[in-house]
Amino acid sequence: MIKEAKNPVLEIHDLTVTYHKKPVLWDIDLTIPAGSLTGIIGPNGAGKSTLIKTIMGLIKPSSGYSKIFDKPLDEVRKRVSYVPQRGSVDWDFPASVFDVVLMGRYSDAGMFKRIRKADRELAMDALQKVGMEKFSKRQISELSGGQQQRVFLARALAQHADLYFMDEPFAGVDAATENAIIDLLHEMTGKGKTVVVVHHDLQSAIKYFEWILLLNTRLVASGPVTEVFTSELLQKTYGGKLTLLTEIGNLLQREGLPARETK
Amino acid sequence: MYEQIIDFLSLSDPNVRTVVLGSILLTSSSAIIGAFTFLRKKALVGDAVAHSVLPGICLAFMIGGAKDPLILIPGAFLAGWLSMILIDKITLHSRIKEDTAIGMVLSVTFGLGILMLTFIQHSGNANQSGLDHFLFGKAAAMLGSDVIIFSAIALLMVLTVSFLFKEFALVCFDREYASSMGLPVKRLDFLMTSLTVLAVVIGIQAVGVVLMAAMLITPAAAARFWTDNLKLMIIMAAVIGAVSGFTGALVSYLYPSMPTGPWIVVVASVFAFISFFFAPKKGILQYMIKQRRIRLMINEENIIKAGYHIGEDRKDFTSSMTATDLIRRRPMPESKLKGHLAKLTRQGYFRKHSQGWELTNAGYKKGSRLVRIHRLWELYLTEYLNIASDHVHEDAETIEHFITPELEKQLEQTLNYPSEDPHQSKIPYE
Ligand SMILES: Nc1ncnc2c1ncn2[C@@H]1O[C@H](COP(=O)(O)OP(=O)(O)OP(=O)(O)O)[C@@H](O)[C@H]1O
Ligand SMILES: [Mg+2]
Repeated sequence: MIKEAKNPVLEIHDLTVTYHKKPVLWDIDLTIPAGSLTGIIGPNGAGKSTLIKTIMGLIKPSSGYSKIFDKPLDEVRKRVSYVPQRGSVDWDFPASVFDVVLMGRYSDAGMFKRIRKADRELAMDALQKVGMEKFSKRQISELSGGQQQRVFLARALAQHADLYFMDEPFAGVDAATENAIIDLLHEMTGKGKTVVVVHHDLQSAIKYFEWILLLNTRLVASGPVTEVFTSELLQKTYGGKLTLLTEIGNLLQREGLPARETK
Repeated sequence: MYEQIIDFLSLSDPNVRTVVLGSILLTSSSAIIGAFTFLRKKALVGDAVAHSVLPGICLAFMIGGAKDPLILIPGAFLAGWLSMILIDKITLHSRIKEDTAIGMVLSVTFGLGILMLTFIQHSGNANQSGLDHFLFGKAAAMLGSDVIIFSAIALLMVLTVSFLFKEFALVCFDREYASSMGLPVKRLDFLMTSLTVLAVVIGIQAVGVVLMAAMLITPAAAARFWTDNLKLMIIMAAVIGAVSGFTGALVSYLYPSMPTGPWIVVVASVFAFISFFFAPKKGILQYMIKQRRIRLMINEENIIKAGYHIGEDRKDFTSSMTATDLIRRRPMPESKLKGHLAKLTRQGYFRKHSQGWELTNAGYKKGSRLVRIHRLWELYLTEYLNIASDHVHEDAETIEHFITPELEKQLEQTLNYPSEDPHQSKIPYE
């Protein structure tokens, strides 16, 4: 069940991504409505992170393309922000909380240019929004997992983008912080920003999101939460009913065949 | 010897000045570049690059026929880059893992380099003498013209780093995020790698190919112990590099036949060792001192608590107790106990008189607090965490020393000021 969004900020067409010839995303076609809080849901290894990374241009797809605000990514980079999975960096890096949040200002400040006072203020505002201003001088290795997550969030907020992609921002976060973050995200979508979040918990997903993508290598569903959250679609996403597809994927990898004909 | 050192330190000889300036520039700029190599966790790659530079130098010499840095540097640079690409290609296109690929490239290229060096040495080319200095470095072999070239390169490297500092830092910390912002990560990577190769290439004059990787990594690794601030870390690394280079130059002056590389690296390593042991916060010594302080505090508090328990038994907290009484409660060697008691008496927790010691008012208060926390914690464990009451004592024995007054308040409130612990002992409130 794939529903077209009326006023899409993101469109993906016929997207296929392979790692070492093994397709991990297959024929994805979707749209995401402007101003929505969208959840990407699917089991481990479903390709959720891969989807986000491909949209952000970190992975080259073997076919297909995506458009953001009806333009290619490179033309609208400054309006898009990415929150990676917390485990993707070495937290022992010599930097303070504030240093990391300030990184969110680098693209606006520009290469070779110095960070200005205004950038510092914006970074501090972002820290305040996630309730971490007291930790601004703290070395990042001395933070708890949830605090590290909030620092990453603040760094993205400091970018002042219009579209945010967040990879599992609730991983390792306690219930109170999760609620605070959700409130913040709702506040952002209330101001017309669009937030796309990879999420694992089905229970809370119903409460949090307006639009949902169900993903398991292929797109099982995309649409308003009420229409997507049916037991049939969830079964399709989690029920391991994709055996044929998986087998073909394995075959392609084994034989070293391309997933798409190369021109 | 002494006079020679003074002579050297006065820097009156222009030759000495050249060598000192050259060495310091080379080692400190490689330390600066090396900080990024260290942060990118590319120490091993740095080692492979350093070793693979040797055949490049030899080949450049064979073609150019002279020991001119303008010929040797491009040769070395190309060889360093090729080895880096080779490692990448092997890792990408075969099942061989990166560390194995590094090992292979390192040993093969270095072997090739030695082979070529031997060949050149036996070729009878009169210009070749001194080429073997590139193995272990020889600062004193630097000429004024070399130093000008090296300084120019070192300056260029430092300027590049200072202009692109925040971009480099971001790429080292979080490549994907940097890339998502549209930073030219590939080009920045290329630049950082080129700088590493350049640092190696100019550094080998003083340090030599064999030990060059240590010159890149050691200063940064030592500096990391002292600070969590990247800028400060890089400045410290540069200073450590400079001191090491200076020492190398001194040795080279005093003992002209001795290679400088090992000396430079040993000095840098001394810094690393000192940092490892003595750095505030991260050093081993600090850690041990802290552990010892904690043990001492626990022992002393346990003695006060034993005094309180005795008072509790006798229903008289002002009664006097002997060392034997206390040891029965809290077994430890008598001499140790007396040492602790002397200190506790000085601190005003005990009063000494002829038959023994008695708790002062301060001692009584402290003992009662420890016992209170102990019993509250036992109660908390049994009531809130459902742990059997015969399992909670050990845990409370440790926790009682670490609970802050705020946590104590919280415990009291959560449990609603209970009067007895799970073993029916009374919980004392002052
Ligand atoms: N760098 C890589 N090289 C090879 N295969 C990869 C790589 N990264 C991911 N994969 C594979 O691609 C598939 C999708 O991975 P992805 O990380 O996108 O999943 P995910 O949905 O984010 O999972 P999780 O919930 O565990 O984060 C997995 O089968 C994974 O093994
Ligand atoms: Mg993931």
